[in-house]
Order: sequence, then C-alpha cells, then structure tokens
Amino acid sequence: MPEEGVLIHAAGLIKRFGDFVAVDGIDFEVRRGEAFGFLGPNGAGKTSTMRMIGCTSAPTGGRLSVIDMNPVAQASQIKSRIGVVPQIDNLDRELSVRENLEMYARYFDIARPEAAERIDELLEFVQLSEKAASRVEPLSGGMKRRLTIARALVNRPELLLLDEPTTGLDPQARHLVWDRLYRLKQRGVTLVITTHYMDEAEQLCNRLVVMDKAEIVAEGSPRELIAAYCTREVLEVRLSDDNRERLKGSVDGLVERVEWLPDRVLLYAETGDATLAGINDMGIQIETALVRRSSLEDVFLTLTGRTLIE
Amino acid sequence: MNATKVVARNAIVFWRGWRSSIFLSVLAPVLFLTAMGLGLGSLVEPNAEAFGDAGYLAFFATGMLGANCMQSGAFSASYPMMSKLTWERNYEAILAAPLGVRDIYFGELAWIGVTLAQQTIPFFAIMALFGIFDSPLAVLAIPAAILTGLGFAAAVMALTATLQTDEAYTWLFRFVVTPLFLLSGTFFPINELPAWGVVAAQLTPLYHGIELIRGVTISNLTLLAGLAHIAYLLFFLAAGIMLGIRNLTHRLVS
Repeated sequence: MPEEGVLIHAAGLIKRFGDFVAVDGIDFEVRRGEAFGFLGPNGAGKTSTMRMIGCTSAPTGGRLSVIDMNPVAQASQIKSRIGVVPQIDNLDRELSVRENLEMYARYFDIARPEAAERIDELLEFVQLSEKAASRVEPLSGGMKRRLTIARALVNRPELLLLDEPTTGLDPQARHLVWDRLYRLKQRGVTLVITTHYMDEAEQLCNRLVVMDKAEIVAEGSPRELIAAYCTREVLEVRLSDDNRERLKGSVDGLVERVEWLPDRVLLYAETGDATLAGINDMGIQIETALVRRSSLEDVFLTLTGRTLIE
Repeated sequence: MNATKVVARNAIVFWRGWRSSIFLSVLAPVLFLTAMGLGLGSLVEPNAEAFGDAGYLAFFATGMLGANCMQSGAFSASYPMMSKLTWERNYEAILAAPLGVRDIYFGELAWIGVTLAQQTIPFFAIMALFGIFDSPLAVLAIPAAILTGLGFAAAVMALTATLQTDEAYTWLFRFVVTPLFLLSGTFFPINELPAWGVVAAQLTPLYHGIELIRGVTISNLTLLAGLAHIAYLLFFLAAGIMLGIRNLTHRLVS
C-alpha cells in the first residue's frame, strides 16, 4: 500500500504501443499538495504517462494507483476527482465560453444552481467573466488556455494534470497562467505538470523528474538537480577559432566540465569570475564573456543531450 | 445514462439553428416531390404500371424517404464526427470527465437518430399532403427509414473512427453512397437492371430499407419478406455498432 499523503504511485510503469515503448518501467510518487513536474524532450513519454494517470490509456505493465484507486478498474471515480488540461485545447467551438463550462459541469453531474455558482467563480478566477457569452473561436490563445483550465476545475479536483500548460503562449499569457496555477497550489490542489520549459519547472515545481527515451533519468527539486548535475555557475565565452584552439589545449584542470558549442563555449565552474580571470591570465583573447547561475536548462541539456529530437 | 449528456450537448447546438433546420427539412421534400415526383413523373407516366398502382410520385417519394436517411445518416457520421474526433478533439475532452467511449458512441448515434426523425417526419407529412398514403399503417415508414439511416450512420462511424484525414469521404460519397442512391431502387425498380445488377442491388442495405418502406406504404409485403428486410437492417446496424465501438475504443483509449 502506498504511504499516507501519496496521491499517485507508480512502480515499474510501462506503456507500449505495439513494438514501440513509450514508457519503460518508471517509478515515481506524487504527494498531496505538491507541484510535480515531468520534464523531457518531445517523445520522452511524458504525455503517455499523463494519459495513464488520467485513465484514458491503460498501462501495459507495472503498477499505477491514483488517489488510492486503480485507473483501469475505477476510471470514473478517479476522473470525477481530477482535472485534465490537455496539451492541445479541445474546447467546444460550437458553444459559448459559459456553455463550455456548463456542459462540462453536466458531465460531472453537478446540479445546475451549484454549477452556475462555480462557473461564476471560475470565470472570475481565470479573468474571463466579460467573455462569458463569447464564442470560443475569437478568444486569444491565452484566453483559450485559461478557459481550458477553468473547465478542468469545474469538479473542484484535488489533482490537476497539466500537459504543457503554457506551450505556444506569449510571455504575458504565460505569466498569468503561472500565477493562477500558483494560487491553485496554495489552495492545496496537487499539480502534475509536463513541460519542456525550464523556467516553468523552476517557477512551479516542488519536485520533478527528467524523462528521456521513455525512462526517468533524474529526480529531485530544481535546486537539488542543479546541485547534482551542474556546477553553481556557468561561464559562457565567445572567441575566435585560433583562441578556441588555444583554450582547448589549456582548459583541462581549470573547470569541471566544458561544452564546445558551435558559437560559444560553456565552462561549468563554481565561480565563473575566477575561471574568467584564469583564462585571461593565459593570454587567451575572449570576444564576449557572460557569467550566470546555472539553471535547470543546463541540467536538462546535460541529461538529455543537445541533439534535436523531433 | 451518460450518453444522454452527449445528446444534450448536440441538442443545445441544434436548437440554436432550429428554424433553418426545420425549414430545410420541409423545403427539401417539397422541392423533390414537385420536381421529380410530379415533373419527371408526368414524363414516365406512360410506363406507370412499372412503378406499381400508386404511380411514379409515390414510388419515387417512398424511395427518397429511405435514400434521404441513408445520405443524412452517412453524412452526420462523416465530417461532423471527424471534426469532434480529430480536428477539435472534443471526445478527448469528454473522456477526461467521468464518461466512457460507449457514452460518446451511443450519445452520437442516438443524436443522429433524432436528426433522422427530424427530417423524416416532415418528409412523411409532406408526402401525406401529396395524398400518397391510404392507410394509417403507412406511419411505419418513419421507423423503417430511420432504421435504414442509422445503419449507414453506424457503418460510417466505424470508418470515421479509423481515419486521420477526410480524404476517404470523397471516395465514400462518390463511389458508395451516390451509386447506392442511384441504383438501389430509389428512382426506378431494380428489375430494370441487368440480372447481375438486380442481385447486387438486393445485397445493399438501402434496397432493403426502401422495400420495407414501400411495403408498409404503397405495395403489399408479406410478413415474412418484411421480417427479412428488418432482420437485414438490424444486422447491418448491429455490425456497424460493434465495429464502431471497437474502432473508437482503439482510437481514443489505447
């Protein structure tokens, strides 16, 4: 039995489609009240995992429990207590903003007066009260996303699944979504988020796992992951080809790790300034230099590689 | 029954445009019966005996009642359903709520049944005004036509559940629905076809639907033949439903 306070428990969870292995024996736990992230490049198995949690895809192997229930045998009971925000908005374009929520409330058997009250609150919460009578189509991408989030909250879920909640939104719209998700978290709603935006994961997630090629390759809080897989700082330098060659010859021992990108060199160091001074002392000419704190993005690229996956 | 919620959603959208829907379902039979039944009918009248005692108007109208349901049922299960399944992904949204694939499937099929009734009843009423029926038993033509239409709807739903793009529909309507419409006895008795054509026509569901409709309205039908037509149509519908649920389940929850 999963321990108290664990909302989702997966052990050796597998999803196969024919010969293709989408999820290859992953273990994780999501605790009540936290924001848990699945990070990974496209095709890593994030959406497949989310669909299994959301009871629309049966696991091929392993164990999965959601709110202490079996997602295959008890799909309806689980679904009535969770909310799902899919990767691609699937609002009903033939209905108005308000009707979208009313119809959804009906799917959950919420009585009309109760639904009307909740819908007013939700429209307020996602700042769409003034658009209540509008059709879905003229809404901006950010508004549609917020409406999708409101729709997922109509049954007052204790667990909210968000598959790439801000992909494709402009910065203002993203911040508004983040703000609302943060408020939900404060109210005690457990969030499970997939994303490939590192700033999103750093902003929202208490804990996360990094997935790559159907497996979990790392797990921890954003801070723990940076500490485990990266140095405190990163020095990014640009330099001419011959200086680059000189740096290649003398960089050993200077820093823990170097990454040679086509346009710049990343030096992973505890103190970027000291490393920069060291390079200057060797008389190597640097065009531009930037010292920054290492981020989840560095962890992510270290773990999943820089090769483009499409 | 959660399927009623799927029906309710469709009803909300329908009521928004009910005036035009009702108008069209009255206008279509008036135009068809005037142009084809009376207009064309006057030209083929010298051969009237080929169409039975009731004349060409009645022959054509009863055929059209069934053929209209076939076209309407097949169409409703094509582009509109593909939109909800593939383009708008509405079914995924419904599945995130405590509804299952069967709720969606039977909700949509039941709604198609409602739209078929909404078209068939006015059509039937107009036919009555044209003085085509002489027995109250003729009202059985309505369920017969709807059963025919549902069979085609179920068959096309089973197809739609497997499609990623709408290209196949061009073929479906051009090479299946239209030939059936033209050659299953809507416009002329299938006896006029060459012998192999008669056999081919007898295998089609539309032929059985139209024979059943004519049997309860303008021609005499033995009980046995009537039951055979009903059995055929029920089998066609049941096969479509089984295949449709299988395909839709495979598509949506795999």
